[in-house]
Amino acid sequence: MRNLQAVWQTRLAHYTNELQKYMRYIFTGHIAIVIVFLLGAGGYQYSAWLEQVSPTFPAAALVGCVMGLLIMFSQPTTLLREPDAVYLLPLEQKMPQYFSQALRFTFTTSLMLIIIVYVAFIPLLKIVTPLAITMIWLGLGIALVMKYMSIHSEFAFRYLYRGRFVWVDRVIRFMLVWLTIATYLNGWYYGVGIGVITQLIYMQLLKKKVHNKPFPYDHFITLEQNRMLRFYRFANYFTDVPHLRGAIRRRKWLDMIYQLVPYRQQNAHRYLLWRTFIRTNDHFYLWVRLTVIAAVLMAFIDITAVRFVIAGALAFATALQLQQALTHQSAFRMDVLYPVAQAHKQAAATSIVRLLIVVQALIVTLSHSMQPYFYVTGAIMLIVGLVTQKMMKKA
Amino acid sequence: MAILQLTNVTGGYTRKPVIKDVNFSIEAGELVGLIGLNGAGKSTTIKHIIGTLLPDSGEVTLQGVTLAQNMEKYRSSFSYIPETPVLYDELTLEEHIALTGMAYGLDEKTVKERADKLLKEFRMERRLKWFPSHFSKGMRQKVMIMCAFLVEPSLYIIDEPFVGLDPLGIQSLLDQMAEKKKDGAAILMSTHILSTAERYCDRIILLHEGRVRAQGTMADLRQAFNMPEATLDDLYIAMTKEQDHA
Repeated sequence: MRNLQAVWQTRLAHYTNELQKYMRYIFTGHIAIVIVFLLGAGGYQYSAWLEQVSPTFPAAALVGCVMGLLIMFSQPTTLLREPDAVYLLPLEQKMPQYFSQALRFTFTTSLMLIIIVYVAFIPLLKIVTPLAITMIWLGLGIALVMKYMSIHSEFAFRYLYRGRFVWVDRVIRFMLVWLTIATYLNGWYYGVGIGVITQLIYMQLLKKKVHNKPFPYDHFITLEQNRMLRFYRFANYFTDVPHLRGAIRRRKWLDMIYQLVPYRQQNAHRYLLWRTFIRTNDHFYLWVRLTVIAAVLMAFIDITAVRFVIAGALAFATALQLQQALTHQSAFRMDVLYPVAQAHKQAAATSIVRLLIVVQALIVTLSHSMQPYFYVTGAIMLIVGLVTQKMMKKA
Repeated sequence: MAILQLTNVTGGYTRKPVIKDVNFSIEAGELVGLIGLNGAGKSTTIKHIIGTLLPDSGEVTLQGVTLAQNMEKYRSSFSYIPETPVLYDELTLEEHIALTGMAYGLDEKTVKERADKLLKEFRMERRLKWFPSHFSKGMRQKVMIMCAFLVEPSLYIIDEPFVGLDPLGIQSLLDQMAEKKKDGAAILMSTHILSTAERYCDRIILLHEGRVRAQGTMADLRQAFNMPEATLDDLYIAMTKEQDHA
């Protein structure tokens, strides 16, 4: 049996690979530009505000609160996977080896955010606190030590209570960090001693209680799955994540739409696809999102030509993505076997997407009916949407 | 005329065939067991019958037509229960039934009548509004079974039916199969559970390494292997050994 350190190493390599694969899509192009722009604008505002900030501004309490929030959320990254609950079971005694690697990893990856946020506060702290600059920097050290202990505490707490009452632990640690950092930054250095020692005792108590308790694999595996799912959901806004299975919601209030499909053999695919569209969050929100964006932009953009271009682009995106979502399927599904001609299936998807294009154009037209040539925008959206659909059918 | 007829069917996923020169037929009112080890070609054979794979050579006819000759007749002549349940996450149990009824051209009244009986038989009446994500493996399997029996086709193709079902579910399935057989339907069932196959199947097809090694009633097989007292397990083991020595 290979040792658990090697297991961790392969996990980590696989994980970083997976992240990099999607990060490429997330940070290429417009998002990077938007972020740079937002940071620049934010920095400018911030420095302008610093010029006239009142010396009684409660900076210590604020920084303590923000650090408390950042340190409170210390979910350990264990990279455990479903089969581990079976295969690693006999290695329970040796698992601490694996977890210490995992917690170290969790700590190093969470360092960056805390450092960035704290450093951003330094100019403010220089102005409103009595501390010398070296003492302000020392505050960052204290925050990092508390983060380190927090990760270990949260891991032990989740371990001990098998994932229940996590908020109790979080509130306790939030209060501790807040008080420690706020009192320190106000110049009361003993606060640090008390805060850090309390947290140390808290952590050691939890660790002691966990000793020789069976590890709750289910809880930690669910945590990992949810974390990856959140990442994939996010990545899915930028690119297509193939194995992401969309969440389903009933949306009963839209049941009346199903009346559009009378009970007939030729309508089987229509029956299925309407429900697929309405209930699959990915498809449904895609349409809602693009429609709302289009409606809002049309109402606020004052240059007619720009409105036309943006409306066309959004109509194109809607038609392209929905048509693809409703016609493309990779896995075997029972409708493959239905004694209904393939043409009916294509026709069902096309008619549904067509209706969605029309409704979208209608909503957008109404949303900016006070703008000149608003009816032209609607017409453009219709034409672009329908032509896109036609082209896709041929391709 | 046979309901299902495979003539010299050779095929698989890539150029390299998984099944070779497979010949067999199934008559009305017959329950035929398709038996073989993991990887013997059972699932591949079934995929050729349901038409998700097309044979490299040879022909599959169902009710006298191939899939190419009359897609609609071919497809409405069978229903299929896959080994792992395939359900729509976005449809409730009720909607799975409605969709199946619709797709196979049943009228609403017939669907209601048949569904009520099946729901009762498989004890799923109270779960009509549920989504598959709330079903256990056995319940998912039951949804597949109910949809298949709703259609009442002339051929049922059932892949590993008993895995995941509780004893009551297994009994209900066997009852349904017996009833449909009596009405003149043909059933092709693939399974590993040889004792069940021996007990319920009218005929057995032994598949080994992509070829049909033997087929017939238990009496035929015992005679072919010259083992008069043998169970299907004995015969099966004898066959695989014979293969290894050959």
